[in-house]
Amino acid sequence: MTGLPSLVWGQGKVPPPIKFGQPDAKDFEAKSFEADSGATAVVLCDYGVSQFSSTAGKMTITTERTTRLKILKKAGYEYATVEVPLYHQEERAERLNNLHGFTYLPGADGKITKIKLEAGGSFEEKRSNNLTVRKFTMPNVQEGAVVEYSYVVTSTFFDNYQDWTFQHDIPTRWSEYRTSIPQVYQYKILYQGYVPLTTNEVGTGSVNLLLARHVSDGAGPGAGMEVGTTSLTMSTEQHRWVIRDVPAFREEPYSTTRSDYLARMTFELAGIQMPNEKYQDLTDSWPKKNKVLMDSEIFGKAFLDSKFLASAMKPLIAQYPNEAARAAAVRELVLKAVKYDGTNRYWASGPLKRSYELHRGNSADVNLLLIAALREAGLAVVPVLLSTRSHGGVSEQYPLMEQFNYVVALVALPDNKELLLDATEPLLPCGLLPTRCLNKIGHTVPETGEGRWVSLVPSQRYSHYQEVSLTLDAEGNLSGQVHEEHGGYAGLEAREKLQELGEKKYVSQLAAAHPGWEVPSYTFKGLTEVEQSLGLNYELRQAASTAGTAQELYVALLEPFGERQNPFRHAERNYPVDIGMFQQEVIRVTLKLPPGYTAELPKPATLALPSNGGRYMFAATSPTPGTVQLLSRLNLDKPVYTANEYAALRELYRQMLAKQAEALVIKKSG
Amino acid sequence: MLLSLLSFLALSGPPTPKYQADAIAPALRENAHAVVRAYDEVVTVKSASQVIKTVHRVVTVLDEAGSDDYGQLAVPYDALSRINYLRGAVYDAQGHLLHQLRAAEVHDQGLGSEGGSFMTDLRMRYVDLRQPATPYTVELDYEVASENTLFYPDWQPQHSENVSLEGATLQVTTPTALPLRFEEQLLPAGAAIAPVVAGNQTTYRWQLPASAAMEEEPLAPPLDELLPAVHLAPATFEVQGHAGSLASWQSLGQWTYQLGKGRDVLPPALTATMAQLMITYPDPRARARKVYELLQSSTRYISVQLGLGGWQTAPASSVATGGYGDCKALSNYTCALLKAAGLPAYMALVGAGADHADVRSSFPSSQFNHAILCLPLAARGATPADTVWLECTSQTTAFGYMGSFTGNRHALLLTPEGGRLVATPRYGAQANRQQRRTDLWLAADGSAKATVRTHRLGLAQDRYAQLLHEADAEEQKKYVSNRLHLSHFTVTSLRLTSAPVATPQALPGVLETLGLDLPGLATPAGRRLLLEPNLLGHLAALPAQVGPRQAPLALPPASLSQDTVRLHLPAGFKVENLPQPVELTSPYGVYVSRYVALPDGTLQYVRQLELRRPKSATLPPSIYTDYLSFRRKIGQADNAQLVLIKTDA
Repeated sequence: MTGLPSLVWGQGKVPPPIKFGQPDAKDFEAKSFEADSGATAVVLCDYGVSQFSSTAGKMTITTERTTRLKILKKAGYEYATVEVPLYHQEERAERLNNLHGFTYLPGADGKITKIKLEAGGSFEEKRSNNLTVRKFTMPNVQEGAVVEYSYVVTSTFFDNYQDWTFQHDIPTRWSEYRTSIPQVYQYKILYQGYVPLTTNEVGTGSVNLLLARHVSDGAGPGAGMEVGTTSLTMSTEQHRWVIRDVPAFREEPYSTTRSDYLARMTFELAGIQMPNEKYQDLTDSWPKKNKVLMDSEIFGKAFLDSKFLASAMKPLIAQYPNEAARAAAVRELVLKAVKYDGTNRYWASGPLKRSYELHRGNSADVNLLLIAALREAGLAVVPVLLSTRSHGGVSEQYPLMEQFNYVVALVALPDNKELLLDATEPLLPCGLLPTRCLNKIGHTVPETGEGRWVSLVPSQRYSHYQEVSLTLDAEGNLSGQVHEEHGGYAGLEAREKLQELGEKKYVSQLAAAHPGWEVPSYTFKGLTEVEQSLGLNYELRQAASTAGTAQELYVALLEPFGERQNPFRHAERNYPVDIGMFQQEVIRVTLKLPPGYTAELPKPATLALPSNGGRYMFAATSPTPGTVQLLSRLNLDKPVYTANEYAALRELYRQMLAKQAEALVIKKSG
Repeated sequence: MLLSLLSFLALSGPPTPKYQADAIAPALRENAHAVVRAYDEVVTVKSASQVIKTVHRVVTVLDEAGSDDYGQLAVPYDALSRINYLRGAVYDAQGHLLHQLRAAEVHDQGLGSEGGSFMTDLRMRYVDLRQPATPYTVELDYEVASENTLFYPDWQPQHSENVSLEGATLQVTTPTALPLRFEEQLLPAGAAIAPVVAGNQTTYRWQLPASAAMEEEPLAPPLDELLPAVHLAPATFEVQGHAGSLASWQSLGQWTYQLGKGRDVLPPALTATMAQLMITYPDPRARARKVYELLQSSTRYISVQLGLGGWQTAPASSVATGGYGDCKALSNYTCALLKAAGLPAYMALVGAGADHADVRSSFPSSQFNHAILCLPLAARGATPADTVWLECTSQTTAFGYMGSFTGNRHALLLTPEGGRLVATPRYGAQANRQQRRTDLWLAADGSAKATVRTHRLGLAQDRYAQLLHEADAEEQKKYVSNRLHLSHFTVTSLRLTSAPVATPQALPGVLETLGLDLPGLATPAGRRLLLEPNLLGHLAALPAQVGPRQAPLALPPASLSQDTVRLHLPAGFKVENLPQPVELTSPYGVYVSRYVALPDGTLQYVRQLELRRPKSATLPPSIYTDYLSFRRKIGQADNAQLVLIKTDA
């Protein structure tokens, strides 16, 4: 939470910010929207009230939402179509009711025409087993129209209280969320975003619920049967949050996922205190969370039952006395045994033995199996929960389980070293997590106790090395050899591309990116040995294309091997640059000059980012007469740069590119 | 009973291995990520209103790159079709059964919002049999029963790159009274087997022999146009009680026309408003333009396709009430508006999309995915007769413009007399042009500032018109920045506007004014500055040809691109060396670049590239070397550098 909420008693008196069916006359005046000239539509008010109530003797969460939008341009029409996902699981289901909507059109005479959303504009689609989508589109939407809709979602998923997102792709004038939760339900509430809350109030109130009484569960006839209703009055905790003038959200490159940047409020059920019942503590501490996980059939109990792997592990124990080597061999075996199906979970889809026999599973099936196998192979291993980049960041403040969606293995080695293992990506070396997992931190799940946070920043970086030896003739033609090494995550990137394209197309694309290049021959090295970097050697010829006279030649030697375009194209940045890993890019070019020529050596340069964020180094030497050696080295030493560091990062790239583009001046001696 | 079952099991022994990977011929492994071992399709026409497709597909996945496409399968269905069964099994390289697909492993998913639709009844079932170890073989059997006999299944066992084929069969059985229509595409000799008549049924058969994997090549037609296929269609059909014939384009048009008949009734007030236009706008073109403006300002595209609604338009009255509809509904509504305004127009079906293949005109069948309007204008005084085509789903497309989405192809005109194939407009190089004028102010340190004014017309403006109308200012800036091929730059200003239209018939245009900050544009080399004056006019390089060219050459539409760069030199610098002027002429186009020193001390660089597309759809593969050399010469000229030197003063 940002700051402490102000205590307000009797906040029920604060009138709602919007009255459905009564748009403001100002919403139809052009001057109200002068400041939004860049926007296609504006959310005038988005108002949600979520509270506990009783329907048919059952407790439910009722969330009423009222939204009013102004459509400014045709490109904003899409905001007049709404999709509401509704989940259901066994008997529990979210339902949408009381859908109402109006489109208000200003006429030339200043009169407002009001058009109702009819039933024909609303549909329900069964998307999958657990998901139904309710969609509706507003009638007669035109430029200048105001559209307004309101609906109620009821839910009995008490463990999934309705979240609220204050920010949208279009500017939002007013976003308000109110909650009223009986004190029997305790939720952890987490606010995140780059926009401060305008209002943050908490108070108390009360709610009257009519709940069905049941004969207590247990043996005997009539157990669980309904025997009338009880009226309960409970005190409630009430919150009211408002953000005014929320800017439109823009996605930026080198980011994780939009939910990491949007202003939003999330809830997780922490505990239940029913009258006359024992308090059910659900989340309050890591030791308890860990115990729940370890007792679960689809987590702890799943990997503790590893006997079915004993016969497969025995030979590995004998063959690899070294524990690091054994861990790698176990991972290799799991990689070959089970295919990751692309679904990210931290819980198994069923018994691990089944995934093992099926040869397929979600990320937890694969990695819990890996954990089971590592245990069976006599290694000290704990699961590490994490959230993939597309799933969003995790907060260290609370043990919120819904933050996580993935599990990997942490192996403790005898020399106090630790190894993070994952068996979903065959093209990655042992000890490197897939790039989707590079999301700062994860948390261990030990058999007992608290566990701890573990850094997910990989020790191996994205490393690209090029060693180039070229010979220049007096006509300006270049020829020579290039040796490339793609290490760490660069190896993964190159291997993925190679797998997709094949060797021939890979090289053909490489050559095509450089006008005038010819690549008569090439060889790849370490194609299948993913533990090593991927090597590529190729022969290079480039016919003279440099401007100049026979007296002087100008050759930009580094440029063809560099990035050639600044990856940070945009001058502004609102959110951090999140690369997730360290990077190194080295180019070493040795040039043999034509006989009778000399080169002017360019000036060396060293540039550094503030607070040890990285550096660029350029050097030019003449190791022997008639040869020139250029060295270009870029190191990025932070996995994440803040928005404030962006300008320096972009400038470092600019200067590097300028240095790489600099032409070597080669002159005929005498 | 028990005994006989046991003895049966004993006799059968362990199952014999199936589909061993070793059995695949080496020639079929070449360049292949997967090998289609069998693709046996059986089509059974039950009646004029029901057709059943049964598929037996066996694919060996050779390496990981083939896994996602061939280790999984999605079978679509909708309100007019159902999947009778979907079974599968996966075998290891030796052909031993690894796993038999279970019912619980068949997932079902709604695709109601697919392709930008608001609501459709499209769904799919999908299975995932991908394996960690390659090679492995996936065997799948499924059957789909369809009540939409407007479409018969097609058969193309090999249709994408890096996949080879061992063999495939197609069998179609139909009541002799419901004759089959088919078109064979590039079939090898002996593929078709003579039909057999048995009782009142006729059975047709085709088979394909082994075929090596293909690779996609640059500027080639899509592979599915280069590989064998059999296209099927009924002679007569019936969808939801609506009977029709596909004997000709006329009859298909007739059926579609009848389906929409009587759905063009407008509310009386709207009819009266339209009739009034006949008085206020006596000129038919001006009146049609007015109607189109009204359509564009009061409706939007919302696609609802349920059951027959995929083919039958919603009534015009529903568009009048709700202000939205799909392509059929909006075209039908506009047609009704025009009719009320005294301008009879025709709906037309078209295969829309920049990459959509043109209609196979020799084979009348439903090959369309979109509806547009065609408005014939009779000669009037000095004004000759003309035809105006209208895209009714866009709120911003210029009146009468058919861009890369629907232009330069054939459409099926729906008239009371039936259907007729007609050509939509095709624009030439002069119509699709981009004219750019750049002022470049260079500083002594090599940095520069530039103002770039670009005028795009016709097909050259399609994307920019979309950007202008559908994106906000921030998104426009992002889009333009992401497409600039410059080492480092900052966009200091950007403005997109619609270009003024000179004549009523002129094609739409978009003006772009761009301000750029270009630190380090010129490269210092001692006392000199090296600079590529061709700031933005590069043509993307083509990958080098490896091995002989296989596919014919399919060139993009004709276009013209003109660049004028005015270089303002920094004080104290003069030109030391200019690249030679270049003039290239080929059957594929003309390229010119030259430099002129202007009296005001600036240097002007002019580049003009006219790309031509020959009349025939494609050129033979042997031409490719020649074409490549034309492109390479352009690439060299585009990258030429000039040298400036510091004067001693």
